[in-house]
Amino acid sequence: MAQSTADTPRTRAGQVEPTAIWQPRLVGFLCNWCSFAGADMAGTSRLTYPAAIRIIRVPCTGRVDPLFVAKAFQRGADGVLVAGCHPGDCHYAEGNYYMRRRYVLLRDLLEFLGIERERFHLEWVSASEGKKFARVVSEFTSQVAALGPREPPRQGPTELEAGTSNE
Amino acid sequence: MSDLVTGIRAQVRDLLARRRVEYVVGYETGSDGVNARPFFAYTTEEADRLVFDNTCTHNLTKYLVEPERRGSTIGVVVKPCDARSLTVLLAEHKFPRDVVAIGVVCPGIVQRTREGGDGEAPQARCQVCDQHTPPACDILVGEATAEGPVLDQFARLAPLEAQSAAERSAFWSQQFERCLRCYACRQTCPQCYCDECFAEALDPEWVGVRIGRAENWLFHAIRCFHLAGRCIGCDECERVCPVKIPLGLLNRKLRKEVLDRFEYRAGTRSDERPPLETFRKEEKLDLA
Amino acid sequence: MARVGVFICHCGSNIAGVVDCAAVASAARRMPGVVHAEENNYACSEVGQAAIRTAIKEHRLNRVVVASCSPRMHEPTFRRTVAMAGLNRYLMEMANIREHVSWVHGDDKPAATGKAIDSVRMAVAKVIRDERLTPGKVGITKRALVIGGGIAGIQAALDIANAGHEVILVEREPTIGGRMAQLDKTFPTLDCSACILTPRMVEVGQHPKIRLATTAQVEKVSGFVGNFEVTIRHRAKRVDHSVCTGCGTCWQKCPEKVPSEFDSGLGKRTCIYIPFPQAVPNKPVIDWANCRYQRYLAASGAEKKPPQCRICEKLCPAGAIRFQDEDSVVTEQVGAIVVSTGFQAFDHSAYPEYGGGRYKDVISCLQLERLLCASGPTGGEVVRPSDGKHPKTVVFVSCVGSRDDRVGRPYCSKVCCMYMAKQTILLKEHDPEVQAYVFYIDIRAGGKDFEEFVRRSQEEYGALWLRGRVAKVYEEDGKLIVRGEDSLVGRPVEVAADLVVLATGIEPSAGADALARTLGVSYNDYGFIVEAHPKLRPLESNTDGIFLAGTVSGPRDIPETVAQGSGAAAKVIGLLNQDELVTDPMVSRVDPLRCSGCLSCREVCPFDAIGSELLRDGRTAAKVNESSCKGCGLCVVTCRSGAMNLRGFTDQQLLAEVVAITR
Repeated sequence: MAQSTADTPRTRAGQVEPTAIWQPRLVGFLCNWCSFAGADMAGTSRLTYPAAIRIIRVPCTGRVDPLFVAKAFQRGADGVLVAGCHPGDCHYAEGNYYMRRRYVLLRDLLEFLGIERERFHLEWVSASEGKKFARVVSEFTSQVAALGPREPPRQGPTELEAGTSNE
Repeated sequence: MSDLVTGIRAQVRDLLARRRVEYVVGYETGSDGVNARPFFAYTTEEADRLVFDNTCTHNLTKYLVEPERRGSTIGVVVKPCDARSLTVLLAEHKFPRDVVAIGVVCPGIVQRTREGGDGEAPQARCQVCDQHTPPACDILVGEATAEGPVLDQFARLAPLEAQSAAERSAFWSQQFERCLRCYACRQTCPQCYCDECFAEALDPEWVGVRIGRAENWLFHAIRCFHLAGRCIGCDECERVCPVKIPLGLLNRKLRKEVLDRFEYRAGTRSDERPPLETFRKEEKLDLA
Repeated sequence: MARVGVFICHCGSNIAGVVDCAAVASAARRMPGVVHAEENNYACSEVGQAAIRTAIKEHRLNRVVVASCSPRMHEPTFRRTVAMAGLNRYLMEMANIREHVSWVHGDDKPAATGKAIDSVRMAVAKVIRDERLTPGKVGITKRALVIGGGIAGIQAALDIANAGHEVILVEREPTIGGRMAQLDKTFPTLDCSACILTPRMVEVGQHPKIRLATTAQVEKVSGFVGNFEVTIRHRAKRVDHSVCTGCGTCWQKCPEKVPSEFDSGLGKRTCIYIPFPQAVPNKPVIDWANCRYQRYLAASGAEKKPPQCRICEKLCPAGAIRFQDEDSVVTEQVGAIVVSTGFQAFDHSAYPEYGGGRYKDVISCLQLERLLCASGPTGGEVVRPSDGKHPKTVVFVSCVGSRDDRVGRPYCSKVCCMYMAKQTILLKEHDPEVQAYVFYIDIRAGGKDFEEFVRRSQEEYGALWLRGRVAKVYEEDGKLIVRGEDSLVGRPVEVAADLVVLATGIEPSAGADALARTLGVSYNDYGFIVEAHPKLRPLESNTDGIFLAGTVSGPRDIPETVAQGSGAAAKVIGLLNQDELVTDPMVSRVDPLRCSGCLSCREVCPFDAIGSELLRDGRTAAKVNESSCKGCGLCVVTCRSGAMNLRGFTDQQLLAEVVAITR
């Protein structure tokens, strides 16, 4: 858990687990009706995917304010995933169409500001696509991991700290 | 006295005499005797103080959205770019349609400092301007001219676009490090009019109060995104920046993408919805 | 001052087997605002809920986080729990540490625990910013719409109407009855399908509370549970049913014959027609595309005009023919909707190797059903379409469009094994000399008396069931050679058949996906509508007030379909029996002080829920109609001024969640 803070998980025996490999810090905005349910489906189907993503439930991708995305990046997120209903399937009829436009423009802007386009991803995942959700998160995680930490820490961490520190 | 000035004064005198408007927002010569500054003409006598020349840089529509103007009928002198913001503001219900727009055929505005040092070179926006005759005005002053070939207004983006993400990130870090968060860019922007800007809101506190690189980055990113599909390209934000951050680049980048993706240019047509307020079901956009 | 209590559910070993719940609890205790955290074996159990209620009292909690399963599962449960303890039910948030953590990260327990802690951190940050919300109230239109008049829709309509509520039953075809009307007998009881169905159809036609709209389709649905507005297109029948007596003169005399849809193309029908003798309504419609008069009208001046025909018009004793009829579009107000649009048989042309369409004597099971039926095109005589001879060797091919990824139908259609068993029995009863062979993959006979029924087919009726796929069907010397394999003995087999019957699977009716989009409900890859919960809410779609019955949500047999019709009706009756509904308070609101009046929100709202109002200081501000708002939040994001906010998913809450999980 690269991103854990004071709450670095410890086993009951008390020793810190050796998870020294850098893991990206990912934020996922999932719409309640399709993709959040799709993520539930991945769980119900006992699929596995990397644990680097933190999931925020929103009613609709149309609720995902570019400010949330920018804020996440500003605070050091390595990648942001937005997932919602397939075009035509939006529970609110049109929310994902608006998100699609906001997404491409925001990605253009972020890219221009120096955030690689691979770090910000929009995907359609329906309630029944548990498998797709697991695949999307796996691929996105390795895609972002390949890019490395977004901004190099101002003071390079020692090798010992590399797994657990934030800066 | 140029024909433009004569024309403006005659039109304004007429508007005021007929009581078509209560007052007209225009330009007069400033106290330095050289540069124009905004001027409110309430009487026919005051109309004769109005001028128009290549120093009239301000976008006067900015005054129209002020709360105290509400309920008045106003005339406003607009350059072609100002006319575009007028169209945007009208679509956003910022004032009723009975504003009288006095459009002026614009020769281009020069970069001139307070000291008058930079000479007569046209401003960057004017060098790439392709609209010298104001669209959709109530009164037109000056002779409509055919548009000649213009430089690519997005050429300025190319060097930065060619860089790697890390280089761009470093570039903007350096730029935003200087930002004082004086908000001059926002104050001068004709399309920024919220009573409470997200940047200063405390609940929710979107942008931290600290003036630091990260907070400044967020402010500028969102300021720019709030102008996506709305920015008319006057570059005033960049001109007024006291620490010379090339903010025009950011807005220009989104203008380019909006034009490429949605064939939309803010303020040029009043019958089209801004790109973020509409969609086409069948459009794919490049999501991957 | 927020006093948050965090309850970490073990869900037996479902969560605790992967996540270190003690570590999550101790981390939670250090989070700002948290005054109490405890573990709980099964939070949703009565004991678990009681523990939450006790802790709320003991620790004077005013906010609660339950870290357990998906909020899509138990959010209503725990809202009730906190409400019982005297808290506003919206002061509860869930952290999904089961579906999103323990069930997917079993391979990395420390990471799972870290993610669970972050999930709790987000929920705590969010719950602190939760507001007390009060649901509003709205009236109900006490009328139901049933879409699709097969047995599911018939059952639902009758049950709702018998409970005293008005029903509008919309059917695309000229008659109700659906697929069941096409069947000869039903398994495993072998009762006559029409004999049990048609009384129900008549009942629908005569019921004072049911308004039947045939040749009609739903075009648009707006509104919300309790108050839907539905636009229905009534396609032109070109016969005035208020005048027509159904005497039958017209369809006896109509000279234009086309293949009968009802008989799966085996027989012919006229152009002014009722699909079958017991149709309801028992009055004809004109198939305008094939009508001779239509062709006359359409013929351009240059060519020689065909004869006008108009025989039906001349002969109709009631003067009911209306050639000039046009489609009409009406809007109806309803409080609830049942979707029962059923299925269609898989198109076997996807299997060219079976020769369907190429060889006349390769038919679908539905066609055999029509041949077996006494009221079918052959009067119940099973004959080969090619030469009219009685087939003696009949081979069935199972799973045509079922359990096959190649044709995009990986699911089992559930009824095919059983109807093949039925058809082997019926064939033998029609003609004792028939020998039936059935190529199957597995025999799926789960159900009351089903297994016994298949055994009867095998033992009493001598059908030979061969386990194996059919590779190819080809013609040789007037016979159809079916080449397959018997995988039990591991040998290729060839059967020279007189008739080959393809057991085509179940797929959603054409246009079901478009209808689902119109209704705003989710459907899966195959076009079946997705249930609100596959186990616990099988009759509800994920849109409140829209219910499901029958094969619209997946393959099922008749008893199950009927049960679903009744079940959906019970849901509708329960809804319509209320006098008012509580509305979801998680909708948008405007802060007029911040509103800049640009009204971009009004432009993007998909539900026309935003208007404007003139404030006393002369400014214009947006105004939300809370009963129309569905809470998507599109307006909130469009609003640059931060004037618009979505209750339950406020900017403050979502921002706090982002902040909680970034550094």
